[in-house]
Amino acid sequence: MGAALRSWLFTTDHKRVGILYLIGSLAAFAIAGIMAMLMRIELTAIGPDLTDNPQQYNVWLYFHGAAMILGFQIPALTGFLANYCVPLMIGARDVAFPRLNALSVWLFWAGILLALATFVIPDPPDVMWTGYPPYATRTWGNTAFYSFTVLLLGFSSILGGVNFLTTVFYMRAPGMGWNKLNIFVWSIVVAFIIQLIFVPVLGTAVTMLLFDKYLGTTFFDPANGGDVLIYQNLFWFYSHPAVYVILLPFLGITYEIVATFARNRVFNYKMVVYGGFGGVLLLAGEVWVHHLYTAGLPDWLRVGQMVTTLLISVPVGLLMIGLVGTLYRGSIEYRTPMLYALGVIFFFLIGGLTGIPNAIASLDLHLQDTYFIPGHFHYVMAVAGTFAIFGAVYYLFPKMTGRMYHESTGKLGFWLTFIGMNLVFMPMMMAGIEGMPRRYYDYAQFPQVEGLQQLMTFGAFVILAGSLVTLWNWVQGALRGAPAPANPWGSRSLEWTAAPSPPPPGNFPQPPRLGPEWSPYAYGERA
Amino acid sequence: MAQQRAEFDREFSGRLAAAASQGEGHAAGEAHAHEWETSPWPLVISAGILLALPLAFSFRFVYEQPLAAVLTLGIGTPLIVAGIVGWVREGLGGEALGLSPAAMPWFILAEALIFLSFFATYWVMRLAAPEWPPAGTVALPRVVPLVMTAILVSSSFTIHVAEARLAASDQRGFLRWLVVTIALGVAFVGLSAAEWRELMHEGFTFSTNAYSTAFFSITGFHAAHVVVGLGIFVALLLPALRGRLNEPFTRSASLYWHFVDIVWLFVVSQVYYW
Ligand code: HEM
Ligand SMILES: [Cu+2]
Repeated sequence: MGAALRSWLFTTDHKRVGILYLIGSLAAFAIAGIMAMLMRIELTAIGPDLTDNPQQYNVWLYFHGAAMILGFQIPALTGFLANYCVPLMIGARDVAFPRLNALSVWLFWAGILLALATFVIPDPPDVMWTGYPPYATRTWGNTAFYSFTVLLLGFSSILGGVNFLTTVFYMRAPGMGWNKLNIFVWSIVVAFIIQLIFVPVLGTAVTMLLFDKYLGTTFFDPANGGDVLIYQNLFWFYSHPAVYVILLPFLGITYEIVATFARNRVFNYKMVVYGGFGGVLLLAGEVWVHHLYTAGLPDWLRVGQMVTTLLISVPVGLLMIGLVGTLYRGSIEYRTPMLYALGVIFFFLIGGLTGIPNAIASLDLHLQDTYFIPGHFHYVMAVAGTFAIFGAVYYLFPKMTGRMYHESTGKLGFWLTFIGMNLVFMPMMMAGIEGMPRRYYDYAQFPQVEGLQQLMTFGAFVILAGSLVTLWNWVQGALRGAPAPANPWGSRSLEWTAAPSPPPPGNFPQPPRLGPEWSPYAYGERA
Repeated sequence: MAQQRAEFDREFSGRLAAAASQGEGHAAGEAHAHEWETSPWPLVISAGILLALPLAFSFRFVYEQPLAAVLTLGIGTPLIVAGIVGWVREGLGGEALGLSPAAMPWFILAEALIFLSFFATYWVMRLAAPEWPPAGTVALPRVVPLVMTAILVSSSFTIHVAEARLAASDQRGFLRWLVVTIALGVAFVGLSAAEWRELMHEGFTFSTNAYSTAFFSITGFHAAHVVVGLGIFVALLLPALRGRLNEPFTRSASLYWHFVDIVWLFVVSQVYYW
């Protein structure tokens, strides 16, 4: 085996582990994206377009959702970005447990491989990303692969959480107090606390599913004392907080980008950290019932959690105010990462506002299970999160590769994806209001939405074009880009000021020394 | 706190050098600070897990190909074991693992939520049931669980003594009490297995009713934790026999064991005697 290959496969260095996460999660993104294209093509016209087998459509939908959330966004944010940035930002040589870190990334790869097996095994899983029983326990599809994919990725996340919390608690450079952490580091701390509390709940739920289907237990079998609603509650008890596991790091990295390119201190740092992140952490576990307004739960639960859901918009709003405040009177430089960061703010604003009607139980009775819901969560999480990840890859590109990407190609990719996303998800919400149910593989009963469906398919191709441009730019930049200086952006944060591009093993040629005035956002007074 | 951190930092740089010189067998010297660190074991363990769990399970229960299941299990399990052994050799001997007692509570938090989810499910099923115990339930043993409780609680004391012996640099005392703890743990698992066999023999199986579902999954899951705890103890014992002791890791292991012990108190009170 080549020494270079071995040094990657056996690596325990956080930067390389991070890049392994990035490669795996981009692979998941690409294939899940192909599934999305297949679904979009299938939906272009009423009647069968690509397949006349609804089960086939279900497999695409399963892979698209599961791979995008569990295989792409969570690992790209809490795997790739956390690994690459956190030790560098806190001035540590590596994470607390480097081998455990390598185990996390390889468990994640095991999960990805298992998910990819969907395309080669007989009876692939077809249970969406939610895996609801009784469908999941009765289908011919291989629900075991669904459960194990979740378990492998979940276990990987738990090990990551243990590792990163210990790292941030004990390995900060001397002089780095809690109020001097990068916002991104804070977002990772809170995201991992959420993971440690809630992932085990999902793990248990899918384990019960596995036992029910294959070992004959009766957790979700009403004929034998079980109850399917137990699954739905456990699932959403995890999966609502999971949206914050995605949201917080993607806003965290957006803060870094915005502060750097607006040359501004983070607006109201303590409000963002304690009010925003703290508030989300406190409320994250008390809102899951808003996914179950039509499931027949008692009113005290539905109304109670409607109130908590509306309440949690407050800390989320604080996070938004912090971002916009950081822009305020900054001297803004519109480089590609910054365009993506501004895109995040745009998409997140629309997505957050469309969450509010969903939160009102009486309105949601009509909206639930229509296209309005995927419209909402694609804006708020899928698109905003993906833009943050793309922006982060551009932002860190010189640091990771030691080379620069091509600026105007980057901007072209941005504008194509930006326009494409709006062409898909704005019509999606409109079709939802017109009554189009989600998860359908055909819509003969809803001819009024055919025009919107075609617009969405067109938009999907625009996104595809934008993504290809972006990918090409990354590959070109990594191979042939101009050499990058240590700190091309003029940032004040340690990963740029104290480490060369790319950083060597051990990260810092000299241990970073932080004066009392040091801050990752020390850009001086506002202009 | 700051001091603790500085202390760790010193320890950490020592560890980097130690790991580098052990891992690849490069020539000793200052060059190590510039080498990428490696360890093959994480990859080996992950490959083993992929084979032994999802693949073996699916071959056996989904596709009904017992031969393939045996093969994947037969390749995966040795990979996992080899990976753990290699890791322990590399890690527990040379590395200080000074932070592991600080990390363990986070792991325990996650573990606690697994049990909480199982218990919550059990409570919901039980409180919604028209009659309890549901039809098909057999009489559960009354005495054995008490014996098991006594065993597990005393093992918490013995591991505590072992830890204290280690802190007092009494190596033989540490080994003695560690072995006693392992013996108690094995006795616990043995009793648990015997009880399972007995109940299944009487026709109380996974699929009898909601009670059996909860009973077997909760006790089984707890027993699995005892087995993992025993595995950790063995990973402490073997290097210790050759004089390689690891105090912080012993503390983490004992913390984990106390947690498994406390969960058992919930298992007994909720599943057996309620
Ligand atoms: C201000 C805040 C928000 C409110 C009030 C809100 C409210 C809701 C509600 C009530 C639903 C359930 C609708 C239904 O199924 O009928 C929902 C679905 C969803 N939301 Fe949000 N949301 C907000 C922000 C977010 C954020 C920040 C994310 C992710 C980062 C997110 C991701 C999702 C996802 C993934 C779903 C749908 C999952 C599915 O059914 O497959 N939401 N939202
Ligand atoms: Cu939610």
